[in-house]
Amino acid sequence: MTTITVNEISKRFGQQIAVDHVSFSVEPGEIFGLLGPNGAGKTTTLRIILDIFKPDSGEVEIFGGAMSEAKKDRIGYLPEERGLYQDIQLEACLVYLATLKGLTTEEATKRVRAWLERFDLSDDRRKKVKELSKGMQQKAQLISALVHDPELIIIDEPFSALDPVNTQMVKDLLREERGRGKTIIMCTHQMHQVEELCDRLVLINRGQVVLYGQLAEIRREYTGRDVIVHALDGLPTAIPGVLSIQKENSATRLHLAQTLSPQELLRYLVSKDIAIDKFEMAMPTLDEIFIQIVTAGETLP
Amino acid sequence: MNKVWLVIKHEYLRHVLRKRFIVSVLSVPFFILIMVGIALITVLVMSDWRPIGYVDHSGVLAGAQPLPEQKERRSRSVEIQTFDSEDAALQAVNNGEIQAAFILAADYRETGAVSVIVDDNLSDNASQDFREFLLQNLLKDQPAGIQERILEGPALVFRSLADSREFAENNILGLLVPLVAGIMLIVAINVSGGYLLQAVTEEKENRTIEMVVTSISPTQLMAGKIFGNLSVGLTQLIIWALTGAGGVALVMRLFPEISGSGLDLSFLGLMLITFLPAFVMIAALMAMVGATAAEARDAQQIAGLFSLPVVFPMWFLMVIIEKPNSPLAVIMSLIPFTSPLTLPMRSVLTTVPAWQIALAIGLLVASAAAAVWLASRAFRLGLLRYGKSLSLREIMSRAKS
Repeated sequence: MTTITVNEISKRFGQQIAVDHVSFSVEPGEIFGLLGPNGAGKTTTLRIILDIFKPDSGEVEIFGGAMSEAKKDRIGYLPEERGLYQDIQLEACLVYLATLKGLTTEEATKRVRAWLERFDLSDDRRKKVKELSKGMQQKAQLISALVHDPELIIIDEPFSALDPVNTQMVKDLLREERGRGKTIIMCTHQMHQVEELCDRLVLINRGQVVLYGQLAEIRREYTGRDVIVHALDGLPTAIPGVLSIQKENSATRLHLAQTLSPQELLRYLVSKDIAIDKFEMAMPTLDEIFIQIVTAGETLP
Repeated sequence: MNKVWLVIKHEYLRHVLRKRFIVSVLSVPFFILIMVGIALITVLVMSDWRPIGYVDHSGVLAGAQPLPEQKERRSRSVEIQTFDSEDAALQAVNNGEIQAAFILAADYRETGAVSVIVDDNLSDNASQDFREFLLQNLLKDQPAGIQERILEGPALVFRSLADSREFAENNILGLLVPLVAGIMLIVAINVSGGYLLQAVTEEKENRTIEMVVTSISPTQLMAGKIFGNLSVGLTQLIIWALTGAGGVALVMRLFPEISGSGLDLSFLGLMLITFLPAFVMIAALMAMVGATAAEARDAQQIAGLFSLPVVFPMWFLMVIIEKPNSPLAVIMSLIPFTSPLTLPMRSVLTTVPAWQIALAIGLLVASAAAAVWLASRAFRLGLLRYGKSLSLREIMSRAKS
């Protein structure tokens, strides 16, 4: 059964169309990327999925039907607008939020303590939330999205306010949750952060879907005629059939003309007795693909 | 339903267990205690229980009877001694044996002239006792009935022509209780309203709202918040009412003549029926303001406006007391904001027609329900508008969102 089916949803605020006929689906057990630049309509789409907003048109199916109060207990949500009750103790706050997700107080307390331990927040559990640092609050809020062991985890901008160590920890955590069969939706504008995590993705720009599918397929599709070569002693300054040669750190990026295939280039380099460490097709990053699509879209009438 | 209960419990406990709440609850009884204490101390300081003396040149007090044991009035009276000469009396005053000496002139019957010799000043209780002593002895030849009427004065009972309700002049408590209860209601409304306002705006300021409404429905959340914070105000009200009742019981013990008036308690039920929906209505209106305003401070100012009309009848107190069935009084007992104070007060003064009571309560309950509906609606609409306010027109007009 498909976890989420979004079918042609639209939403406008005043004159502005925030979401414009967006459709996609999320399959069980995958990490799904909901990507796009700032203001693309990502958060509005999430809020429609979560029934915080009603769409002007279109519909959303979640766990095979409309949203219900019972289904809310099966979802963990980390909103973009971060916040916890500031004036109460950390543990009390997390336990209260967990009981709202249907856990008993005893069970909630037990699980919250285990999570605090794991996130290195045990010593701070009696502190008031407002006394914690931003990063700590973010971790605490992540706990409240995960503590009830939801089937579906929806995270909006998972890495904002996190240092590299905690970013890595969250990435590992998300992989682990996927390993346990959980479905995860990650919503972010930091596309490079999610490339290594996402199985499939939808890319939204100005409220419209511009890209949707398997990450690997998308990248293959947008792979151009660039080759990256790591040569021990450098490359010749001119190679027949190569339009441009650019140094990129220790490597060199070669842009090939239509007449030259990568195989022919490799054969040529070997014939010239050039020592090669590594020879690879340049796969575009999501950022590059996105920029390519957006600029292409803008040049169209 | 279970989750509403969780919200109620959370909202209730986090206020009630806080120092600020405990201090504010205890402050009022404490204040009353201090006031009563000061009053008692003043009475004690002003009173002087040393004996007084008199010299009678006129002969009206020949064979005088001492004041009888007080049966109703204050529990004590001073001892009254008789002196043969002014010199002896003066001597006693100088020695501090008596606090004052009253000297009745020879022509007292004609002129009523009495001079008093005191060392510093004459205490109220002593002069009152001497006055009674003198009156009683002047009247001793009169029949007992006449004596009593002159000493006690007439017992006035007011009877209005329109109805059969009697209102004894000395039934001060009858008016005082609804008045004091009204003031307590206003304070409790402001307290609960303040907490509620804070609880609603805080969801926006802390940005927890998205987490909460993806756990429970906005209506559940709003209901939980309204009833949770209302319970905080009720707790406060009940504690105050209990200490108030204790205070009244104490006052009645100290001043038994007040209790003799037979306080009619039928209006208490009426008070309860009008106070509860009014409480819910105003709290919900405040919550609505909280949901629409961008910041707690904005909300606080607007919300104060809702408790203002509740106080309104206080300004017309004299009109209501003098003419409890005047159109103004009737209208004020029908308007949901003013009825909680006006209706119980009128019921003490007159017999309020049943239709008026039914209509007033009906209007109150309907307004309370409407206010809760508006509040949860405003909450649903305003919930994600961080830092923006919502107009009343939007609340009324937008069908979905």
